[in-house]
Amino acid sequence: MQHVIVFVEHKSGQTRKVTYELASEARKIADALGGKAHALVAGAGAATVAEQLKNYPLDTIHVTEDADVDKFLLDPLVDYLEAVARSAGPSLVLLPNTMLGRDVAGRIAARLDAGMNSDVTEIRVDGGKPVSAGPKLQGSTVVASTFKNTEYGVATVRPNAFDAQAGGGAAQVVSIEKPAGKSYAMVIEDEVEEASGEMGLEEAPVVISGGRGLGGPDPFTTLLKPLADALGGAVGASRAAADAGWVPYSLQIGQTGKVVSPQLYIAAGISGAIQHKVGMQTAGTIIAINRDATVPIGEFSDLLVVGDLFQIIPELTNMVQGAKTHA
Amino acid sequence: MKIVVTVKLVPDTNAAKRIDPATKRLVRTGLETVINPFDEYAIEAALQLKEKLGGDTTVTVFTMAPESGKETVRKALAMGADDAVMLSDAGLEGSDVWATSYAMAQALKKTGFDLLICGGLADDGNSGGVPGALTEYLGVPGLTNVRKIDEAGEGKIKAQRETDSGYQVVSGPLPALITVTMAVGEPRYASLKGIMGAKKKTIATMTLADLGLDRAVGTDGAKTEVLDISAPKAREKARVVEAPDGATGAKAIFDFLRERKLI
Repeated sequence: MQHVIVFVEHKSGQTRKVTYELASEARKIADALGGKAHALVAGAGAATVAEQLKNYPLDTIHVTEDADVDKFLLDPLVDYLEAVARSAGPSLVLLPNTMLGRDVAGRIAARLDAGMNSDVTEIRVDGGKPVSAGPKLQGSTVVASTFKNTEYGVATVRPNAFDAQAGGGAAQVVSIEKPAGKSYAMVIEDEVEEASGEMGLEEAPVVISGGRGLGGPDPFTTLLKPLADALGGAVGASRAAADAGWVPYSLQIGQTGKVVSPQLYIAAGISGAIQHKVGMQTAGTIIAINRDATVPIGEFSDLLVVGDLFQIIPELTNMVQGAKTHA
Repeated sequence: MKIVVTVKLVPDTNAAKRIDPATKRLVRTGLETVINPFDEYAIEAALQLKEKLGGDTTVTVFTMAPESGKETVRKALAMGADDAVMLSDAGLEGSDVWATSYAMAQALKKTGFDLLICGGLADDGNSGGVPGALTEYLGVPGLTNVRKIDEAGEGKIKAQRETDSGYQVVSGPLPALITVTMAVGEPRYASLKGIMGAKKKTIATMTLADLGLDRAVGTDGAKTEVLDISAPKAREKARVVEAPDGATGAKAIFDFLRERKLI
């Protein structure tokens, strides 16, 4: 395992921050292994993403705008990624730990008969082999693993776990040929947008989450959203709020939802069941606002404010907005 | 239509867990196992589909687990699945994503299916890699993150696939593998009748000898190796501030954000 390949997730030319985190980390690992750092960008808008990626320290950016990538589910993506991996030779494939990244990861791992490590938050090279570590068992344990019996490794990486460092870019952009003899079965007939313009929850630097204590759907937009906007973040929710139908499940943070690791996490009216803890406990700073001083979330927060969130949050939003105008 | 649901038996979320430093594996002794929460949604989706299609549609639960997991499998039968198949063999111990997927795929080829439904993730390993790897090793089309099955039957499936910003309508042929999200609906509780009925349902067992694998699985065949385990970074005890009014609470948070250079 000598080279590193980054799978780039994007939508019509708009990529995620995690892409740059992976590109920066790929360089470090490739250097430690004495290999090259590659990236694959496929689908409509790929050339745009490749241009932006050139600011990062990769060796080769493989690009295709093959229309099949957006017409058929996953299969073309996996084929292109396999083609890059085969041409690069023994390598570690990095994917974001997102819905799409996970979908592709299991498939490419099987294609390459690769070992797979998931939800990785640390990578190092030890004895010439990549070692990756991440939280397991609901975050109670950090497990470090390496690869054996294989020439390829696959790792899904938690967004916000690594720094994106631009610079040093002299990457060559090359177009990749369509793998021959492939047929695709799952057809994407239609695409429906429900929540437009929302920043990816997994990679938002700040997440403001609401739970049962919000009492209904409205406070998510009237209370949490303005604070999230003021802090440059995104709105999330607990399972209780999603189950109650106050927000779509795509906003749910926790064991059965999204796992986030922002610099700042503010939990409003969330008690902090283990279900929720699993999804946010690696956040940099955790602040909880709750009426009850004995809530479990107090055990894994940095600051617990015991009070009425309906009074506190608007005041806080004003203060943050004020600080920004005076900055 | 034959529906098969894959289920993983995982330690109860709320149970305290310990990894044996010698084997670097989870100590399962004394831990109550439950059906992986994500897989309960897969069972729910299968049962909904069975109710909709009626006729000779059956739901089989498939798990790779030690035989001691039989009682947990019965909970899936109590929810309404028709029967179960367990792949149990000491030689499977220590299997990673690769070995698990490879062995399961060979077993699932033997059970056969029109529609294979998987949960998206397991709450202990957290990888989400198995369904994708199964798709490859089974050589069937894969449709992930399904939130609603619009049509299934007569060799075709059409479903809504959840994305970060909405959904896609995706269709393709059967047999196929799908993964489902929580949006398919809250998993049903087993009724008393279901629990009584589950006792009479068949749980068939397969072993490695039945599969005749040409590649090593278990610890020997695994393509990953655990090097070390450690405790996550501990957080200092929370500062607690009583806020009798909004301004006090807001100021406490604002000062804390300043202190940590977050604003």
